[in-house]
Amino acid sequence: MTTAVAARERAGSPALPPAGKRSSLRLLAHQVRYEQVSFWRNPQSAVFTFIFPVVFVVIMGALFGGIGKGSYFGGLSALQYYVPTIAALSVLGSCYGQLAVALAARRQAGILKRIRATPLPARAYFAGLLAHCVLVSVIDIALIVVVGRLYGVPFPSHWLAIMLTLVLGAASFCALGVAVASLISNAEAAPAVAQLVLFPLMFISGTYLPIHSALLNRVSGWLPVRPFNEALTGPFAQHAGADWRDLAVLAAWGVAGAVVAVRRFRWDPRPE
Amino acid sequence: MPDAVAVSGLRKSYGRVHAVRDVGFTVGYGEIVALLGPNGAGKTTTLEILEGFRSRDGGTAEVLGYDPGERSSARELRERTGLVLQDIAVEPYLTVRETIARAAGYYRTPRGVAEVTGLVGLAGLERRKVRSLSGGQKRRLDLALGLIGNPALLYLDEPTTGFDPAARRDAWQLVRGLRTAGMTILLTTHDMDEAQALADRVVLLSGGVVVAAGEPAAVGGRDAERARISFRLPAGCTAADLPVPSHSANGMVVVETGMPTQALHRLTDWAIRRGHVLGGLTVERPSLEDVYLELTREVAPSRAPERIMR
Repeated sequence: MTTAVAARERAGSPALPPAGKRSSLRLLAHQVRYEQVSFWRNPQSAVFTFIFPVVFVVIMGALFGGIGKGSYFGGLSALQYYVPTIAALSVLGSCYGQLAVALAARRQAGILKRIRATPLPARAYFAGLLAHCVLVSVIDIALIVVVGRLYGVPFPSHWLAIMLTLVLGAASFCALGVAVASLISNAEAAPAVAQLVLFPLMFISGTYLPIHSALLNRVSGWLPVRPFNEALTGPFAQHAGADWRDLAVLAAWGVAGAVVAVRRFRWDPRPE
Repeated sequence: MPDAVAVSGLRKSYGRVHAVRDVGFTVGYGEIVALLGPNGAGKTTTLEILEGFRSRDGGTAEVLGYDPGERSSARELRERTGLVLQDIAVEPYLTVRETIARAAGYYRTPRGVAEVTGLVGLAGLERRKVRSLSGGQKRRLDLALGLIGNPALLYLDEPTTGFDPAARRDAWQLVRGLRTAGMTILLTTHDMDEAQALADRVVLLSGGVVVAAGEPAAVGGRDAERARISFRLPAGCTAADLPVPSHSANGMVVVETGMPTQALHRLTDWAIRRGHVLGGLTVERPSLEDVYLELTREVAPSRAPERIMR
């Protein structure tokens, strides 16, 4: 180590001030700020990721707003059912969908390589993305809850459980989004692949309609979307706290996604 | 003073493709060095190893006293190096100012955003969205991102490809200015004029090895090569009448000589006395491009098969 330092001093490499203590937090805020600016100015991301779930809950409210509590919706009213599942859908879109598509596109354009050439640590880049995605999800869910209130769905009471589920779900689906972006090399294919995985998964997980097949429910219970739907539905509509079993399944998927992401993520558009 | 970049015996293969077989060169502090060579010669791979994007299979590499393959010091090295890649890689929805300010936030001691904006000639466009910039303006923005960290060493990968002649001249002026301010620059180019205009030294790569290196005016023995005097044979004369040995090529008389001053004197003396005109008279030494073509052709048959590598 000393020899390396001596070599650098000989080499005339300029000494730089050490990184400050608060610098990681400031760096995170810096990253989130520019991710937010990019996101809101891009009509595609703003409309498809952000507006779509709000429009969806408005339409569902118009269609089924009058349907009261019943066994078809598991003892809930239609909108009590749809508010949390559409909230979950908005998290899927802003975390999984957004990252799978945006990272594949940024890699292909060489933007990731350019970022890799700066001193920005990889963990700061991903922490910034995660915080950005959580922020978008939180705003989206707040809007969905407000629309739900207009259709007579009461505000949820277990905020702590909701926040816990939301952050865990956002982190897990971000990890899965990065994993998918790591496995896709062609940015043009990214939106199709991401949707191809997501759409059937959401369907069998009851995002669009309640599923009354025990077999399907058992299968989807081990996949990431249904546990997330249920973990949100509990504290949203049934005044129940966190559902630990669902959260554990969700976390396991998040860890699996993170492992794939860490092992396979590439910054460079061309393979080594 | 030690060198900013020191490479020796560098090797890198992609599967069975030997992109870099044996590359060695140095770049002194404050120097501009150009890597030349045909596509597939190993320029970009060499650069990417030095930039820390690729691992090397063998050889040594030192950049600003750091090993570019060492992960633990990668961040320190990136604080001190800037790079401008071939692809335009900027977020479309940020403004010019935001793009530069975001990159500035990644460095401990960045240059001023306004200063760099002016330096690359984007002053007045700070509030424009990147997506509305022209191709040339985007490349200037790329250059700004390479400079914002106030690097000691700047990599330029084909910096003026696609520039019009005036923009190219501006870019050269900027690069010379950076060198004057003490920056070390390692660039790749296909443009022999650019190498001649900018580089203190050129390193000529072919088939993954260095085939020649030196000052642009002397590389490959250019300065020691024989000069070529050519002109049209005056009417009524034959080659045998000339006072120096010659041959003909493309309808011109060509005199190759190691002593062009004397040969020229004898020729013009002969012509004036007889009242002849030596039409289209030129004296040439082999250009950098001639040397480049000759040296890269020699190695071409044994060259590694090209794959997707640039």
